[in-house]
Amino acid sequence: MGLKHPFVKISGLRHGAVCALWLASAVHSSAAETGLIARPAPDFALPAAAGNNVRLSEYRGQPVVLSFWSSRCSLCAAQLTALDRYYGTYRSSGLVVLAVSVEDDPQRAVDYARSHATSFPLLLDQTKLVSRAYGIERLPTTVLIDRSGIVRYLHSDDRAGDPSYVAQIRALLDDTLGAP
Amino acid sequence: MNSFLSKQFPMNTMSRRLLRTLWPLIVVPLTVPALAAGAAAAPSAAGSAAPSSAAAAASSAAAAPVAPAADATGTTRSLDEGIQNLKKDVVDLNKDLFVLEEELLFPANTQVAVFVSMDVGDFFALDSITLKVDNHDVSNYLYTPREVAALLKGGVQRLYVGNLKSGDHELVAFFKGKGPHERYYQRAASIHFEKGVGAKYLELKITDHERAQQPEFEIKDWE
Repeated sequence: MGLKHPFVKISGLRHGAVCALWLASAVHSSAAETGLIARPAPDFALPAAAGNNVRLSEYRGQPVVLSFWSSRCSLCAAQLTALDRYYGTYRSSGLVVLAVSVEDDPQRAVDYARSHATSFPLLLDQTKLVSRAYGIERLPTTVLIDRSGIVRYLHSDDRAGDPSYVAQIRALLDDTLGAP
Repeated sequence: MNSFLSKQFPMNTMSRRLLRTLWPLIVVPLTVPALAAGAAAAPSAAGSAAPSSAAAAASSAAAAPVAPAADATGTTRSLDEGIQNLKKDVVDLNKDLFVLEEELLFPANTQVAVFVSMDVGDFFALDSITLKVDNHDVSNYLYTPREVAALLKGGVQRLYVGNLKSGDHELVAFFKGKGPHERYYQRAASIHFEKGVGAKYLELKITDHERAQQPEFEIKDWE
């Protein structure tokens, strides 16, 4: 009995510590998501489903829409279709769209890419290093990067049909001051 | 200026140089409003020579009335020159800081650098290179078509720079890409080298072997 009290105390302390850690990690993850805004977008190089490799920093000077998706996510399909439409409209103005697959099985992403022919590159993040660097917690997530490589907007929902989404893309295209 | 800085801020050379470079950034915003106020107060009158500095311009504008247009042009020109000088100083300072950072992070007695070069490339389309030093992964680099084109034009890329203690080491490089007949191609090359007291430079060379119709991978040790 005498031994039980200290154990209970320690157990209580453990629970407290676990709760504190969980709270800290929750705060940290949300901070990581919002912390990307107004900061340089983490650079990466990923293989594309088409075969070649794509490096983000090679598009410096052009606004980039980065969309994280998965074939299991139903909203992602609608998001990619909308992005394909915007890409068709604003491609000539310099807009770049990159879709990053966070699929566990790369073959599924390749099959999806073949069945849904998009005009922009579909990239495969097999190691999940890129999605971790961008703090992706839900799908679809879209990151809008300006001409100087700074993250300007981050959306963790399906906003492709929202008029404000187009307004943000146009704002990035109009912002020539952001060019390096 | 220097004596004032050294008296007010006892610092090392780099900090003092930084402050000296950024000094106009502090002075210009203070003098420009005064200049603008002086120009606004002065009505149109006989012109005078453009002042050489912003502070001199402020005092002359306040003392003697000058033509606002000529004065503004002169001030803009001197400000442009000041900004150009400032940009040059910042570039020089950045270069010094880069060299200093390299010396601090990778001292010559432990530095190992690996470079990549490519020649011809008819039999091999480079996709990625993985580097292992003493059986530890140190680099995994994916090449984009633009980077491969730059290598084929004669560019040399510093793939890896790190620190190793003196003694014997092994470097293994895995080259992945498309080989002859568009087939997936993976080859490895390795080298045992001795790290001495100086910096060690190694070069990964990708060349074409015309007779064998195959790519060749070689690691060269630059003494």
